[in-house]
Amino acid sequence: MNGKSIFRTKFDVASIVLIPACIGINYIGKLFASALKLPLWLDSIGTCLGACLGGPIIGGICGAANNLIYGLTTGDSITLIYALTSLFIGFFVGIMARAGFMKSFPKSIITALVAGAVAIVISTPLNIIFWGGQTGNVWGDAAFAAAQAASLPLWFSSLIDEIIVDVPDKIITLILTFIILKALPEKLTALYDASDEVERLD
Amino acid sequence: MKSISLYRDNGTWLCRVHPFTKLMYIAAAIIVPLLLGTLWAYAVAIALDIALLISGKSLKRARALIIFSFTIIATIFIIKGLFDADNLTPLFSIGSVVFYREGMMKALRTGCVIINMLLSFSILVLTTKPEDIADELERHGFSPRLSYVISSVFSIIPQMMGTMDTITDAQRSRGMETEGSLIKRMKAFIPLITPVVTSSLINTRERAIALEVRGFGGKGKRSYLKEWEKHRGDKPMTIILALIIVSAAVWRVATWLI
Repeated sequence: MNGKSIFRTKFDVASIVLIPACIGINYIGKLFASALKLPLWLDSIGTCLGACLGGPIIGGICGAANNLIYGLTTGDSITLIYALTSLFIGFFVGIMARAGFMKSFPKSIITALVAGAVAIVISTPLNIIFWGGQTGNVWGDAAFAAAQAASLPLWFSSLIDEIIVDVPDKIITLILTFIILKALPEKLTALYDASDEVERLD
Repeated sequence: MKSISLYRDNGTWLCRVHPFTKLMYIAAAIIVPLLLGTLWAYAVAIALDIALLISGKSLKRARALIIFSFTIIATIFIIKGLFDADNLTPLFSIGSVVFYREGMMKALRTGCVIINMLLSFSILVLTTKPEDIADELERHGFSPRLSYVISSVFSIIPQMMGTMDTITDAQRSRGMETEGSLIKRMKAFIPLITPVVTSSLINTRERAIALEVRGFGGKGKRSYLKEWEKHRGDKPMTIILALIIVSAAVWRVATWLI
């Protein structure tokens, strides 16, 4: 697959309809995670699915729109800041998926690590600017406090905090995405396949 | 079906203010204290947020929105007060634990930023219908696709939550355990989420076809079902708020140059 087709995006009705569905899936993931009292967010399953089905551009739009919509309407305005993180997670997962890194289970773990790295690189500065370096997750913040107590630099403590919170979350998210993708019928996935050509009979 | 939006029309003037005026207020409430940089500016902004919420009879509901942030703000105070790198002057001590002034001031600033942001956004969130924001965005030149995405999210989520309840009941009746150890709960997650997600993705196919036959992809000018009733204060207020932001920016640049 050449570089051009990685970013190829269909902006047809099917892709537009995919975006709100993915945003809904993000919400449901978060809801289930809190209903089962899991120590993870699991609020980017939809973004990753959108990225795998629609490509990096749709993935990025799913991520950014997700945080913007929830931030502006459900009162969770803190998520607005992390729209940037979601955007890049969607974008990079989309690139990885188009490059074939969602085809097998071991490859999807590599995608998960990429997504985790993206989340860390973008969220850590945001955490430092807005929260003084914390993430709000008990385990991560405990590590943050320990690192600060050991007089490590702020960015480093914040980085450890973010790694503890985001990497396991992204690995589980991408494993779930992989399982769900395998379960989807082909008549659905074919709808979003950007590499197909329309054949004309006339 | 339960909506996820927090909007309630309580008949106050705040509900009739244009969403863009509220967005401009949020911008002013966040940017101006940031530019001025003093804690007093934050105090004024927070007082203003609260005053607006009181006059819009929404303070009680706003309280529910910000209460969750208190635990994290408390941990910020503890961690910064005890361990911050700039800590020099002891402020007070509990037993042998000493809290420092520098860290506490940093925590106070972070706390103010968070509370101010949550309060100013809650003004918009509690008194504006999401569909109205979508409509107004479309009317002011944004793509109709964007407003479809926004308003569609609000109809899809209650529907998905209904499916979620059905699936949870079905899996429970087959003997799936949703309580117990972490491993048990983790295992429960997959059989719960997969059917909900697959069914909602499969639904998108039908929705796409349904929209397409109704001319969703069509070009040309759209007409609107609802007209927005203009509030007389909208325009002057937006201009005043914009001027305040600009003058704060000018003041900031001027103090840097001198």
